[in-house]
Amino acid sequence: MADRFISTDEHVQEPPHLWTRRLSQAKWGDRIPHLDRQADGTERWIVDGNPLALAGAASAAALMPERTREPQCWEEVPAMAYVPRERLRAMDADGVDYAVLYPTVAGVGGETFARITDPELELACVQAYNDWLIEEWAGASERFIPQCIVPLFPPEAAAAEVRRAVALGHRGVIYPGVPMELRAVPHVNEPEYDVLWATCQELGVPLCFHAGASTTTQLAPHEGYSPALAGALEGLTRPASTAVVLVNLLLSRILMRFPELKVVFAESGLGWCAYLLEYTDHQFENDKVRNEDFPLKPSELFRRQCYFTGWYDRISLRIRHHIGIENILWCTNFPQATSTWPRSREVIDAWAENVPVGERQQILWGNAAKLYRL
Amino acid sequence: MQLKYGLVSADSHIVLDRDAFKRHMSAVKWGDLIPHVRETEGRNGQTVDRWFVHEELTGGVGGVVNCPAVMPNREIEKIYPERWEDVPAKVWDPLERVEALDSDGVDAEVLFPNDPGRGQFFRWGDSEFELACVQAHNDAETEWRQASDRFAPLLILPYLSPIETIVAEVERGAKNGHRGVNLLGTPSNIGPNVKHINDPFWNPLWDICEELEMPLHYHESAGAGVHPMPRWSGFSLNAFHTAMTSPTAATVAQLIPNLIFSGILERHPRMKWVCAEAGVGWINYVSEGCDHEWERRRLWTEGLTTRPSDIVHRQVYVNFWYERSGIELRDTVGVDNIMWESDYPHTTSTYPHSWEFVERTLAGVSEEERKKLLYENAMRVYRL
Repeated sequence: MADRFISTDEHVQEPPHLWTRRLSQAKWGDRIPHLDRQADGTERWIVDGNPLALAGAASAAALMPERTREPQCWEEVPAMAYVPRERLRAMDADGVDYAVLYPTVAGVGGETFARITDPELELACVQAYNDWLIEEWAGASERFIPQCIVPLFPPEAAAAEVRRAVALGHRGVIYPGVPMELRAVPHVNEPEYDVLWATCQELGVPLCFHAGASTTTQLAPHEGYSPALAGALEGLTRPASTAVVLVNLLLSRILMRFPELKVVFAESGLGWCAYLLEYTDHQFENDKVRNEDFPLKPSELFRRQCYFTGWYDRISLRIRHHIGIENILWCTNFPQATSTWPRSREVIDAWAENVPVGERQQILWGNAAKLYRL
Repeated sequence: MQLKYGLVSADSHIVLDRDAFKRHMSAVKWGDLIPHVRETEGRNGQTVDRWFVHEELTGGVGGVVNCPAVMPNREIEKIYPERWEDVPAKVWDPLERVEALDSDGVDAEVLFPNDPGRGQFFRWGDSEFELACVQAHNDAETEWRQASDRFAPLLILPYLSPIETIVAEVERGAKNGHRGVNLLGTPSNIGPNVKHINDPFWNPLWDICEELEMPLHYHESAGAGVHPMPRWSGFSLNAFHTAMTSPTAATVAQLIPNLIFSGILERHPRMKWVCAEAGVGWINYVSEGCDHEWERRRLWTEGLTTRPSDIVHRQVYVNFWYERSGIELRDTVGVDNIMWESDYPHTTSTYPHSWEFVERTLAGVSEEERKKLLYENAMRVYRL
């Protein structure tokens, strides 16, 4: 029998009516996130008057006839992207038992509404997403593990939404790794964010930084690139851009103040991870940071509290002990273009034969089951 | 070059003496704009020496020279010399530096720039001034090559000049004994007049580097146009240095994919590209990740007919100095693609205990592979 598998990074596709049905039309009008039909017949998401930087009406290229082409209007979006019971079929076809859910329109790392400068509208959009995910997805099957998004700032408001969402059934908290890039807010290392970290720790829900929430940390594609090449480049720059969020966190002292807090780096990939942990330890020693009341090395803090997420990286599993067997999660990244769907099991089989069965089960199931308390 | 120790550093930093630019630039024409060391007031009001370029204070992390590895009490604290007389001659005097190499058991070193030569001469938007500084820098490096064939200096380029001038500087450097070219990761960030690296403008540079067997280099993040985490005021200077430099080293994991997807490497199959001071393990991320995207998106239909990991094995080189996890994966990286580096005289340098690092890092590596990693690959890439 195949190992059980929790795919720890999958994306729901928000349907066109999600926000228009839940927010007051009288109060917010066209500022409500909605799909807008362009002159050429394609559709684009508009949030508070600004077009969203999505390559289509949805991100579902793994389900499209050509992976380089996103659906350009809602009629083209495959049902497996947005209909929960259809999604279960997609999971069955790929050997996925449980799926941990991240947004698409709301931002792969929960960053979209953080750009809204009106806190009331921001909160309304956030709460509509969180309510919808519980009602439509978590309500449809226990195989979906819902995670909430939060308003960016102030941290008290974010913490309050975490409490509300977790009470509804959310199991994780998605937060942008570089909030300062999205709005003029204090540095994420400042103690005023502690209330948010403390709430996650107290409620036992992981804090999830998904790659791509910040774009300035990624190399911009050349304007001469075709969509296929730009997408391929982003497939490399996005996971690698996690490096700045990771190292900053490990040196921020946040993990020392909140030793029970768990942090997931979603869509990190694994390929650069052992290398960067070793690199950071080396710099840490050479820069004499240890003398500054740092009882644990960066890699030790990581192993105590953090997780990387792989989906195709076979090579790095050979040096998994440098990352930490307990710190590796697996996923399919469905339904993005880079997803291994519908052949995720083939990818897993390719590395699994060289990994002892106990460790394999930890990576595919045990670590995530413990983290999400299944 | 005669091998004595069996160890070549593929990444060290030249320190030009305080008069190097004066020797190679016209005093009549450039006067005090010439890069030089002069006294100024330090942070705490004391008198310090600093490099001035174009009459502006310049420099990086601190001190007059970035050379903490040769400063006293290194095991306990990190020091940058504030006065020129505190800078040990074994970093800036080529003959004394050869002795430092001997004391560390190193045969030869590839020389990357140091302040003020780390590519800031374009900052004033004056192409003539930039070219004069760049040529003076490269000529001063030639003096080192003349002093000893144990030095393999790398060229810096005049980015504001026409491509013919840039190509001519590479040809001149190749004649003068330079062994490669150090490049900015995102040259177009200099300003609107500098073309994107993917632009055909640069083709003659790629052609000449391929023809003359001059490997191209990204050093660390290569100053790429990728933003770091905004600086947190709560970091000490040392913690900030760790927070800043650790992830920026991983920037090459974003830059090399662009060299692959742009077709630059594929179109120049004999071109070599070296990533220095960025470690080893990330290159597997690039090979495996680019292969994954190439397959998923069928990029052979976009004209990229060579599998990305084949390009990496054929053309991309990486350096190590302490990294166990990367060495454990040397077969997938390619044992012909890995070189050793000391990073002398920067903070992270293995000097003066380089062989201790070598033994610790290469435990369990066969003799044949050790030779490749410690000197054979570097001697081949740099024609030593």
